Amino acid sequence: MTGLPTVGKKRRNAGEATESTPGGRTIPGWLRRHRGMAAAGMVAAAALALVVGTQLAPKGDAAPLSVHNAGPNGARALGQILGRHGVSVHSPDRFDAALDDLRAGSSPTLLLYDRNGILDAQQLSLLKAEAERVVVVSPRLETLTALDTGIRQAGVVPDAFQVLDPGCSHPDAEAAGQVTGQVTRQGAFVYDGGMSCFRAAGTAGMLAISSDGRLAVLGSTAVLGNERLDELGNAALAIRMLGSSPDLVWYLPSIADAAVSGTGETLDDLAPDWARFLGPWLLLVAATAVAWRGRRHGPLVFEPLPVVVKAVETAEGRARLYQDSRAIDRARDNLRAGLLVRLSGKLRMGPAATAEETISAAARLLDRDAAEIRALINERPASEARLVAWSQALDKLEKEVKTR
Amino acid sequence: MAISGRFVAVVLLGLVPVLLFPGWLTLVATIALLVALLSAELLFAGSLRHVTVTRAEPENVTLNNAVEAVLTFHNGGTRRLRGTFRDGWQPSAGALNPVQDMDVPAGEGRRFAVRLRPVRRGDLAAPHVTLRSFGPLRLAARQRTIECPGSVRVLPPFHSRRHLPSKLRKLRELDGKAAVQIRGAGTEFDSLRDYVRGDDVRSIDWRATARRSTVVVRTWRPERDRRLVMVLDTSRTAAARILDETRLDTGIEAALLLGVLAERGGDRVDFVAFDRRTRARAASAGQGTILGRLVQAMAPLEAELIEMDWAAGPGEVRAVSAHRSLVVLLTSLDSGAPEEGLLPAAERLASQHVVVVAAVRDPQLGAMLRDRNDATAVYRAAAAERALLQRAAVTAELRRYGVEVVDAEPHDLPPRLADMYIRLKAAGRL
Repeated sequence: MTGLPTVGKKRRNAGEATESTPGGRTIPGWLRRHRGMAAAGMVAAAALALVVGTQLAPKGDAAPLSVHNAGPNGARALGQILGRHGVSVHSPDRFDAALDDLRAGSSPTLLLYDRNGILDAQQLSLLKAEAERVVVVSPRLETLTALDTGIRQAGVVPDAFQVLDPGCSHPDAEAAGQVTGQVTRQGAFVYDGGMSCFRAAGTAGMLAISSDGRLAVLGSTAVLGNERLDELGNAALAIRMLGSSPDLVWYLPSIADAAVSGTGETLDDLAPDWARFLGPWLLLVAATAVAWRGRRHGPLVFEPLPVVVKAVETAEGRARLYQDSRAIDRARDNLRAGLLVRLSGKLRMGPAATAEETISAAARLLDRDAAEIRALINERPASEARLVAWSQALDKLEKEVKTR
Repeated sequence: MAISGRFVAVVLLGLVPVLLFPGWLTLVATIALLVALLSAELLFAGSLRHVTVTRAEPENVTLNNAVEAVLTFHNGGTRRLRGTFRDGWQPSAGALNPVQDMDVPAGEGRRFAVRLRPVRRGDLAAPHVTLRSFGPLRLAARQRTIECPGSVRVLPPFHSRRHLPSKLRKLRELDGKAAVQIRGAGTEFDSLRDYVRGDDVRSIDWRATARRSTVVVRTWRPERDRRLVMVLDTSRTAAARILDETRLDTGIEAALLLGVLAERGGDRVDFVAFDRRTRARAASAGQGTILGRLVQAMAPLEAELIEMDWAAGPGEVRAVSAHRSLVVLLTSLDSGAPEEGLLPAAERLASQHVVVVAAVRDPQLGAMLRDRNDATAVYRAAAAERALLQRAAVTAELRRYGVEVVDAEPHDLPPRLADMYIRLKAAGRL
């Protein structure tokens, strides 16, 4: 019995040197080992790049009445039409660029739509001086006042006037005929002073032209917008008003133009010089600390864990099956058989004893009626509640036999 | 490479120049200085390329005892090696000080001891040793992992040893060394001696009495040099945990106690661990004590998640012992289909040998049986009842074949099995 496989296993001699080879430390080896992780990481990185890209990508211009906006409230249609008819449409996004465009163009027309009233009087007068003709769309009170043309706001177009007639002798208005009046979503305003056309009530009209003819105020964006440009005489009015000179500067002031005035120093300007380097250096310290604590002292060691199962698990699983299928009969049969086996053992009946013999022996021992005990043991509970009560009665009976 | 906490502190100190002279130039200069410091440290650190690690295999250790694993580092480089090492023992080996400082001068060797307190039986491994060699300022280190496999064999604890003295005393009573009241304490004639009061009158040897003036009795002693074969089931049912140990561990405890007892009783002991193939064997023939050989054989045993091949069981026994033997099957009674596995095998074995089946009973089944408080508890009681009935049926069937069954709770099984052995020996059934 010597030389058996496990007993006589050759153990390594003490003192045997183990030479070393650093294996699997190359990048391909690393990739091979962490294939799944690498793939998952690449997918995550791609998804992140996609999200960031879509967030950062220049979106189509969504500003109302922008010549690059193809939406219902944009003015891309008008811009394209004018462009096709030889009018070069400039759309500067800053005040300085607008001025430059005006200076560069020959007898340029300026379309100004300053819906937030960003430009101040000085800027407005500069623009007005450089432009040959100015069309101001739905100006706010400050803008209108600053332009100083004698045109005043005179309220809104009443709801009843869905369509407005020219009602004046201006050639553009007469040529256009009827135009869109009050529209639910975009307000339409009327102005008084100068020559007013498309009158809604009294002397105020949706289009007001200054006495020298260089400045026109249009009280509606709907006339120029993509959505209604093809209705009535909107297109005719727009093209005639804006297409009369070879250069059109389409200027929509943005919030950036307002910052020119300056709002004071930022937090960065107020902080001392060294504060700029404090954060990044602490980040560097944190990174080295991570490298210090995060570097593992050698690879992880594999621990083969043995499989261990709770032995009672099978019985508990069977109990759950019984309960899920409400196997009252099966449970009753098991409990009854177990009780009879134990009773026959207690009463020394031997393994061959029948149920009837066991019952009568138990009745004799307890000095009770055999029929009563037989009825209890042979009962078939119909509900779970009855099963519980019955099994408790069985338990009591067994205890009585045991103590007797 | 690795950096130390000191280097982090130095980087934090770098904040001073950066804040005193704020500017990009200072920033770049400080970082450059730090990088230079780091590079110099790495450059002046002792080389790990010429280090050889030698591992002295630790001795065998019983579970929950401590042992020392000795590592020897030889520095073949030209610079002193200062740093730390980590001995990569698997967690259950319970290394108490796996990370230690080391200081090995050039061309010399040093020995370090790592204390282990294993928490699991079996062969526990340490596949590698990781070295860190720091520079003179201990700011940064080179790191290298050296494959250096080693292992320690953790032997089963033999808790049932405490039952050994009482069982040995019982055995000596059989031997005639202590007063025995019953006749038939053994079947082999031993010697004649004078009658003393209390001896069984049936053992008086009248022929010898007639030759002498005093009454002479025969003494008997139990048979010696009988054979005991223990078959330990290592199949999937051995993985089941009852109370706080698996069936396999309980079986090992029982086999150890029985094996030692039987050897003292003068019998030949063979041990086979088996599921679909032989996992371990040990025999009392040969050198050393049976206990040493048994624990060596049992140490690496694990329960395998496969079904026991009982059909091959009788063949296993025959391969170990061709003669009539006491065959002890350490298995479970509630495996899936004992009718197809255990029962036929036990029947075949019983035709030639004396067979004892030792199985662990789960005390939790009894607790489940007694709880009748609500519907869930009653269903659990019914399921427990069914399991117990199955066991009872298998036990009855085994007894019908003349097989002895020892069915006991885990801590009870080793002494009960030993009692069974003593009883069989006393009855002369071996």
